[in-house]
Amino acid sequence: MKTTRQWIATGAFALLPLAPFTALITAPAAQAAVAPEALVAPVADYKLYVLDNLEQLVSHTRDFTAAIQAGDVEKAQALYAPTRVYYERIEPIAELFADLDASIDAREDDYEKGVADPDFTGFHRLEYALFHDHSTDGMDKYAQGLMDDVNDLDSRVQGLTFPPETVVGGAAALMEEVAATKVSGEEDRYSRTDLWDFQGNVDGAREIFELFKPLAAQEDAGFVERVQTNFDDVEETLADYRLDADDPSAGFESYDEVSDADRRALTGPVTVLAEDLSTLRGLLGLN
Amino acid sequence: MSQFDRHSGCPFHRRTDRSQSALSQSDTSTPAHRERRRFLKGAGLTGLGLGLGGIGLGGTCPARALAATGHGQDVTSAPQEQDSQLRYPFYGHHQQGIVTPRPATGMLVAFDVLARDRDDLERLLKILTERMAFLTQGGNIPERNPLFPPPDSGILGPVVAPDGLTMTLAVGDSLFDQRFGLAGARPKRLQRMEGFPNDALDAARCHGDLALQICANTLDTGYHALRDIIKNTPGLLMVRWKQEGTVPLLPPAPGDSDGSARNFLGFRDGSANPDGSDDALMDELVWVGGDHDEPAWARGGSYLAARIIRNFVERWDRTPLQEQEMIFGRRKMSGAPLSKDGAEGKEQDVPDYTRDPEGEITPLDAHIRLANPRTLATEKNRILRRPFNYSNGVEANGQLDMGLLFLCFQADLEAGFITVQHRLDGEPLEEYIKPVGGGYFFVLPGARDANDFLGSGLLAASA
Repeated sequence: MKTTRQWIATGAFALLPLAPFTALITAPAAQAAVAPEALVAPVADYKLYVLDNLEQLVSHTRDFTAAIQAGDVEKAQALYAPTRVYYERIEPIAELFADLDASIDAREDDYEKGVADPDFTGFHRLEYALFHDHSTDGMDKYAQGLMDDVNDLDSRVQGLTFPPETVVGGAAALMEEVAATKVSGEEDRYSRTDLWDFQGNVDGAREIFELFKPLAAQEDAGFVERVQTNFDDVEETLADYRLDADDPSAGFESYDEVSDADRRALTGPVTVLAEDLSTLRGLLGLN
Repeated sequence: MSQFDRHSGCPFHRRTDRSQSALSQSDTSTPAHRERRRFLKGAGLTGLGLGLGGIGLGGTCPARALAATGHGQDVTSAPQEQDSQLRYPFYGHHQQGIVTPRPATGMLVAFDVLARDRDDLERLLKILTERMAFLTQGGNIPERNPLFPPPDSGILGPVVAPDGLTMTLAVGDSLFDQRFGLAGARPKRLQRMEGFPNDALDAARCHGDLALQICANTLDTGYHALRDIIKNTPGLLMVRWKQEGTVPLLPPAPGDSDGSARNFLGFRDGSANPDGSDDALMDELVWVGGDHDEPAWARGGSYLAARIIRNFVERWDRTPLQEQEMIFGRRKMSGAPLSKDGAEGKEQDVPDYTRDPEGEITPLDAHIRLANPRTLATEKNRILRRPFNYSNGVEANGQLDMGLLFLCFQADLEAGFITVQHRLDGEPLEEYIKPVGGGYFFVLPGARDANDFLGSGLLAASA
């Protein structure tokens, strides 16, 4: 039995002929589908982007989990957000593996017993220990589990064929992620490092957009211009909260410092991006 | 007299012919139809009306008709509703949804405006006007290439029925801050709602740059309208809070004395409301006009005071009936004002406080006596109430979170709601209620026609 997600992941949908389906379309403005071979290069480039980020995720997770296993709370705290960024960037692909996504990135809200639930593992379990308990006691097995899961993810993605629908749809998925859990500041409730994740999601969405931009521009130049403007708006607001304007690795201020006005200022372009990017698949004639 | 005091013979249908000129296209507006319904009602045959009148006949009763024919008995069959073609005109000097007869459901949605400048604000107001004009009149939803997200949520199917939908747009005090250069055109009595002594205001359920009142026969129609608005205004609007509510449908009663609907304390609510069909009275009490010392652009508008008032219903249900009636000043079942010898009167009876100066019949601090002392001097404090009952879930203590979405309209916010609420401060009813949210808004004058948009006068006046 295959789930829809697995169907999509294996690219089965891409093999379905488009013609019988488009023949049913009665509405005007059906886009001329982009030639399938035009998608090959950007999809390949995106896979390279994901693999690069996975490599970074593996090595940063190694340092992060080593700090926990060494009982170095302060160092582990400092490494928490910079490690997660690589995961947040590639979430559209990482989420294809629901089991790993749950064990790596689930939040306590996903479990009936919350923090006490034995199935609650991964980044946010460690976040709770580091930023709420200020302790690494008993965290050894969670650190090891995270390292194992990240290695597992890396090897699974290596062999994955990237379906164009998933890649292109990933831009919208990332902005939905931002709209649902980042603006509200609920993702990193103990570390308050939400802006790191926010930037990670935006980076990942923008990468996809940039790769497919030339194709999208052929279909709708106004769309491309609007999306660029809104990405710029979001990044400009985020930049206000960088600790060092010249050094991205310095990261961001605590999400507690983000004013209500700025949360609203972020919501506007984020929502427009979510709406606009939700049409990117259709614009490129993808299922 | 309440605007909710009559309805058609079917418990699912409000009688619609009291909306005077408000009804444009519903079958129920034709004299012939009214006659027919009177006949049916008189003959006690409304339930069989489906066979006689067909779809769109406002006085028919689907439930009874279905029961008779055995159609649609699957548990999950969509319930059928016959007032779906009820349609109120959108354009006009005043907005709809104020003197329009209150339907069975309503919600108030407050928004933060995300638009960054006047141009964006104007674009927002034009989009809102255009969507409201479509949604309230109904029509086919647009089709789109299925590779794209559909333009409509689809929750009402391919054809959006008007379903008695009214949408009413109002602006909050915060819209007049520095962002849009509107300060010079602020309605004179528009202000941020301040907490009253019994309030426990939750910041997350207060105020807003805009408020949209959405009323319809069914909540689904309201939700569809709200989702349409959200879908069409990305980057311009953000929902700040929303509260929906309902009005209990009354079973048919003989004659015209159906009475006002009950709130969740079990009392009839709206008994002493000014008559929404009395144009002269509405011009005096509800609509801003030339005599109201307001900017010229505001004429035709009205102030909206919205309050989310939690009712402690478990405690209320443990209170002796006699005490409940003393607190309100009315008999619970009939809605009649309290009387000297306990004789049962009618809801519409007007209490004569001049003959009860010591409060021996109606306590001096009874709710209805404080709210409307029935003196010449307090005539100008009258407000048009249009509330809905809400139920939100359960509190941590296991008690029901239910109460009243209090909505009232007036030409002068200070002479109206604020004065009335100050008179009510400290009333015995406070032990059983707790206002937790709401805000003050100014309902924009109506859009004249398809070339106009809501707020056009405000923008022009502040240009």
